[in-house]
Amino acid sequence: MNPILEHLKNKNLLWQGQQRILQSDANSTGFSDLDEQLQGGFPDQGVVDIHSPFGIGELRLLCPTLVLRQQRYDESLLIFIAPPLTINSEMLGEFGLNLEHTVVIQTSSVHEVLWSTEQCLKSGCCHTVLVWQQDLEIAQVKRLQLAAEKGQCVLFMLRQSKADSLPLPVTLALKLTPHTRGLNSQITKRKGGWPSGPFIIPMQQYWPELSIADSAQILHFEHPHSHVG
Amino acid sequence: MQSLWLYLYFPSLQLDTLLEQMRGQGVEERAYVVVDQQANRVCQLNAFAYSAGIRLGMGLASAALLHRDLQVIAYQDDVTQGRLEDIANSLYLITSDICFFKPHGLLLRVHHMLGLYGGLKAYWQVLKNQLAEQHVHYHYATGYSPLAAEMLARVGKNCVSDDQSWLHKQVLNCVLEDCQLDNNVTNKLSRVGIKTVADLLAISLHDLAQRFDNNLATYIGRLTASLAHPMVFYHPPEYFSRYLELLYEIENTQFLLNPLQQLFRTLETFLRTRDLITHAVQLRFYQRDHPPLECQIGSQQGEYKMAVWLSLSRLKLESLQLNSPIYALNLSTNNTQVRSPERPDFFTGKQGTVSRLKLLSLLQAKLGEQALYQPRLVDDFRPELAVQAAKLAKQGNITMPLYALRPSFLLPQPCPLQKKVRLIHGPERLNTGWWDHHPVIRDYFIARTPQGQWWWVFKSPEQHWYLHGIFS
Repeated sequence: MNPILEHLKNKNLLWQGQQRILQSDANSTGFSDLDEQLQGGFPDQGVVDIHSPFGIGELRLLCPTLVLRQQRYDESLLIFIAPPLTINSEMLGEFGLNLEHTVVIQTSSVHEVLWSTEQCLKSGCCHTVLVWQQDLEIAQVKRLQLAAEKGQCVLFMLRQSKADSLPLPVTLALKLTPHTRGLNSQITKRKGGWPSGPFIIPMQQYWPELSIADSAQILHFEHPHSHVG
Repeated sequence: MQSLWLYLYFPSLQLDTLLEQMRGQGVEERAYVVVDQQANRVCQLNAFAYSAGIRLGMGLASAALLHRDLQVIAYQDDVTQGRLEDIANSLYLITSDICFFKPHGLLLRVHHMLGLYGGLKAYWQVLKNQLAEQHVHYHYATGYSPLAAEMLARVGKNCVSDDQSWLHKQVLNCVLEDCQLDNNVTNKLSRVGIKTVADLLAISLHDLAQRFDNNLATYIGRLTASLAHPMVFYHPPEYFSRYLELLYEIENTQFLLNPLQQLFRTLETFLRTRDLITHAVQLRFYQRDHPPLECQIGSQQGEYKMAVWLSLSRLKLESLQLNSPIYALNLSTNNTQVRSPERPDFFTGKQGTVSRLKLLSLLQAKLGEQALYQPRLVDDFRPELAVQAAKLAKQGNITMPLYALRPSFLLPQPCPLQKKVRLIHGPERLNTGWWDHHPVIRDYFIARTPQGQWWWVFKSPEQHWYLHGIFS
């Protein structure tokens, strides 16, 4: 084989079409359908770009991953940068996240968002960073990608999809659309793998209340919760 | 034990302090003088001014005539005093008894220290090395009494000796003007033919007391060490605070880094010698025509190193708005603690370059302290009260039972529902808070918009609908 090709292959910068990298179960997303499509789960480090309308379940999709990663890197930090609204700690706590190792950075200027993202990624003391930032340039993403590799951290970028958005140099790009039983999703870009066709991620196992069974056309009153203090 | 004293006389403290900021920028080629404004006399000057013919005690006008580009600085007592304290602070590390002879001198009690250092020569060597770090000019002399040492140092003897008879001879050779006596007394004495200390000491104390006031007798008694000299010895301050006057006013915050570095270096020495760290430092910028600017720089992980504090303050300075030029700086810290080294795990594969606390202080320095918070839970049914943002601090979360499904995002205020939604799940009734003037009666539902978004909506008793959260 050509020595340059071999060198690139050894550095894991080149992959061959017939090769399918099987990642370990530790990265499981918590959703078996998504795991199957991703051959294991989310990457262990790098940038994951998630295109989704706001409020359809894009953050809930990441919840099992966040809990798993937090358990694995117990002293590391989970960081939310520039969330569009107040993050509800009750929901995080309910899902089993340890809030002591969770930090929210609330800043509005794009420059500060990118700066703090980069600092967190390369620090090596954060396991996961979530950032809500709509407009990103290729050079900026490239820089974040390098920072994530340096700090062995994974960055989830949550963005609303735009028609004219350029493909960015990310490890994995997902496109999400709403679905009655969970999310409709499509892998649009993937390092070391092919993009996939659309597939459904059912989410009833975690949130049975947030799904509509196809037959159900009427309002359910089966489990009325009532708290009177 | 024969008592022995060492006097250090610093003739140009203020000038030395100012010029140290500009070392290597050609200050040796310019003439600088410090002028006492009240007496209108040159009281400190650098070597270049001296070679131009300027002398101490000259009027400002004559000095200005002697050199074309004379740089004149007004004398400030507090700068001199502050610097004298710094020097005392640094000398305290090697010698125990230090006494201030304000405004320009320090007196050290030597005879107690000789046993430790093994002789006067070795002691002086250590002391000289310590003084070299301060970059100030000084004269020194020993004496068998504090006043004798002072007199010899002021005339610039620059000698260290424990030979009593030789020292006595040196004192006798001094003229009366070298004594720290009142001008009237000196004049009176010279009129009766007493010109030197030898003449003065030749006259019996009894005769002098009849002609002159008590002060002269006391002075002679102290000079000859027959009377004890009362003095208060120095104790170093527990906390660090340093004032630095700038040589010229600075408008651009980036130029502040150089003087800041000087301040942080002294802070580092202060903390390192005591094996301390600090979590926050206060910087005060004195602005011309405006009240001073205060700013606090914090480091979650306690720190003493100059480089770390400097990089943190660089971030802080980026966002600092100056109203007018800065003429002085003050750095202080009042919260120190004993350093306990962090122990990074050798065997974990993942080796971060920054520790968690360092990262947080870096972010706080740049973004401001309010930009970072930790989500927290409070045991309350009302969603807006259960969710609280806490400033970063070590606080364990309380464990509380968590109830039903809650949305990932909450709106700051519930807003009226203005969209047609389909109710999917509910109701969940909250009826609480009647005891603390914030009653809440709501029926919560989970709703889905036609666009597929999951909303958390509620109905008030007045049948009004509100949006409160989003299941993102």
